[in-house]
Amino acid sequence: MLTRAHGIAVYERGRILPDRLTTVRHGHYMNYAGRMLGVYRNGLGQTRQALHKQVKAIFAEEDDCPTRRIEAFCKLLDDESEFIRDPKGKAARLRRQVFRLAAPCHPLVRQADRLFERTEEETKAHIARELGIDWAEIQAMFFSDMMEFHCLRKFKGYADGAALLSRYNVAQVQVALYSATEMVIRAEQDFKTILRHAKLAGLLHRIKRIRLELYEIRLDGPASMLRQTRRYGVFMAGFLPKLIACAGWSMRARLLTPRKGYQVTLTLSPEDGLSSHLDSPHEFDSGVEEAFTAKWGDQPREGWRLIREGEVLHKGQKVFVPDFVFEHEDGRRVPMEVVGFWTDEYLREKVKTLRAFREQNIILAVGQAGAKRISGLPPDTIYYKSALKIKDVLERLTNA
Amino acid sequence: MHLTLSYDRGTLILAGLNQSGLPPDLHGEPWQWDSRSLCWRCDAIHYLQAQGQLASAGLEVRDTVPRFGNVRWGTINLPELWEHQNRALDAWMNLGSGLVVLPTGAGKTEVALAIMARTAISTLIVAPVRDLMYQWHQRILRGLNHDAGIIGDNIYNLKPVSVTTYDSAYIHMDKLGDYFGLIVFDECHHLPGRLRREAAVMSAAPLRLGLTATPQRSDGRHANLDRLIGPKVYEMPLSKAKGGTLADYEVVRIPVHLEPEERVRYDALSVEVRGFMYGRRQEKPEYSWEDLCAETGKDPAARKAQKAYFAKQAIEDRAKEKLRVLEDIFRLHEGSRVIVFVGSNAMARDVSLRFLVPCIISQTKKPERRDVLEGFAEGIYPAIAANQVLDEGVDVPKAKVGVVLGGKSSSRQAIQRLGRLLRKKGREKAVLYEVVCEETKEVARSRARRRSDAYQGARYRRI
Repeated sequence: MLTRAHGIAVYERGRILPDRLTTVRHGHYMNYAGRMLGVYRNGLGQTRQALHKQVKAIFAEEDDCPTRRIEAFCKLLDDESEFIRDPKGKAARLRRQVFRLAAPCHPLVRQADRLFERTEEETKAHIARELGIDWAEIQAMFFSDMMEFHCLRKFKGYADGAALLSRYNVAQVQVALYSATEMVIRAEQDFKTILRHAKLAGLLHRIKRIRLELYEIRLDGPASMLRQTRRYGVFMAGFLPKLIACAGWSMRARLLTPRKGYQVTLTLSPEDGLSSHLDSPHEFDSGVEEAFTAKWGDQPREGWRLIREGEVLHKGQKVFVPDFVFEHEDGRRVPMEVVGFWTDEYLREKVKTLRAFREQNIILAVGQAGAKRISGLPPDTIYYKSALKIKDVLERLTNA
Repeated sequence: MHLTLSYDRGTLILAGLNQSGLPPDLHGEPWQWDSRSLCWRCDAIHYLQAQGQLASAGLEVRDTVPRFGNVRWGTINLPELWEHQNRALDAWMNLGSGLVVLPTGAGKTEVALAIMARTAISTLIVAPVRDLMYQWHQRILRGLNHDAGIIGDNIYNLKPVSVTTYDSAYIHMDKLGDYFGLIVFDECHHLPGRLRREAAVMSAAPLRLGLTATPQRSDGRHANLDRLIGPKVYEMPLSKAKGGTLADYEVVRIPVHLEPEERVRYDALSVEVRGFMYGRRQEKPEYSWEDLCAETGKDPAARKAQKAYFAKQAIEDRAKEKLRVLEDIFRLHEGSRVIVFVGSNAMARDVSLRFLVPCIISQTKKPERRDVLEGFAEGIYPAIAANQVLDEGVDVPKAKVGVVLGGKSSSRQAIQRLGRLLRKKGREKAVLYEVVCEETKEVARSRARRRSDAYQGARYRRI
């Protein structure tokens, strides 16, 4: 990730537009990106300072490139690199030896005179003899543990120039989000992934149903309702790649700016064409669900249409997104949760959640193999062996 | 009715009351209804006030907030306090929270340790930089015979008595805020920053101590210290300390000149920067450096001007003559410990490699820092060079000679830099040399530095 110091953005009528490299305006950056990757791929054994210098040189004649953008590229390249950091403190030990040997000769003068006869040159030669290493070699090693002089050991890199540029685009949005006080997502799909990762990021949510299958999820942190704070912005930035990997959403964030009292809005949706380096969420949690969906088909059965993750149940900070919702032609909606693979703990947690939402009349389908291990399952639970039967579900729906 | 008061990541939660159920005693500040989690919530800093409110409302509340408790010190080995330190101690003990304002070198740490010895409660020390954090750790070990935990410098070792930095406190306070009964902010003028203040807001510690030599901030935010820590309970002015508790000092300014080839490059760069600015100001008279920076992305000419400006600064910073002057100062003070302040990592390394004396920069690791500072204290190393990192409070005992090679000026930095040299040891007078490039920006900075209060009354000589 980039730091705030790498951030580039334009403010335009109350909106923030993070720096974005597009094929239309920055087509020639593909070439630069390829060359930058080349610098690192061919740069094994070189110092960070030398690598950064070469990256800067690539942009010497480029009219459209702020210094920050170059520094951001360097950071993104460094992030995927391994450097030799001298973990055993060899350089520090060498310095200690040299300083202690030199101390009695202090001050090292340029030219000897009657008062001070120890010159820099002689002292260095003397120390080199004492240690049995050439002074030139000592000097090369002297500060090799410092950031700028770390040597590249391995470059894990990016698949290609395009991958580097798309990471850059996402990273600039993340920097903008560091200043966010609140993020509002409107989602039509992938609720489960969105909510789970928001929670993992340590954010609190408010959920509002806008209309059937369109939810508004407002994210911030514990102290956000007491005062304006951007402390949770970094969590939102960490969550962003996960959001981008999802489908069917739009996002709006409120950002503080350096100008006191002046706020801006950041908006984003899949139409902006950002791509995440993370995989998009698996459509189905298990094969049982996938097979069931395929068998049920697109058409209603006995008036019931099957919708995957169509409903978000919530109470305070408790959220539950059942795997399916059955929607009847007369408007009735019945959620269903399929529990296949589990540990006892997982199942117990699930039973607790279902109990919290029991007025929703959720159909529970449990794989038979482990159902005996746990007590407290609702009496009308559907059990299945290898596949969930449509007949069983329809029967249960008729009684719903 | 069953009520619970609990700590939640920097805030307090009052659970068991619904939105309309808050008794009148609790209306208004600080409680707010949280519709997300269906509870009443406020910042953790209000813990003491909340306790009072709940008690006077006669509510029975299960208070699960404090994870702090009494601490048993080892054998206490603290020096006898000076009179002014005793006054500060008593004044703070009367109130249990507030600021103690003492000049650098007047023994703030001893006052804090004495307060810790008396209160004997879980304590968090918040220090500005890592060196100081380690120094606090040492002082607690020596004075109270207690091995404190460390949170910062990539270490997270939480103990009932812990030391941390402002940055780590900001990052981790949501996990620590209920863990300490006393929180000590060293050099607390740092606290009111927009982000750092949250370290105080998210802590439930009922006892709070702020230590500083200079509570004033140029942005006026020092007024917030009152809310974040407490009122000023004791202050000893610098003028009273000078010559009394502290050694006398003298400031000597040494102008240096750029070498011919440096000069030629410097002037060429100046022409470039000025030319660019002049052109822009023809169109827009108020065109500023910030405007220039904003344009660097779109305009290669602005980028060139920016680059030229930084190159100019680098020439000033690393002017060759500075190293020659430094040699003369080393000659002049042979046998005295000399500390050299530099403006950049590159210059720190230049000095270190030229004179083979240790340097400390921000990325210097802990064992090496300690070796350098202790070696300097013991007289093994005759001189050290430091970039910014030693600006505040780090013990550099008996340094009588300071040299400033570049660096920015501000009243607070000046006081603290001088503070390094002001430590009382014998009757010897401290000297601070300022080595600045003549006819450059650095001269203006030196002038600003001289104007600041730290220099008032100091004798000023020019060579």
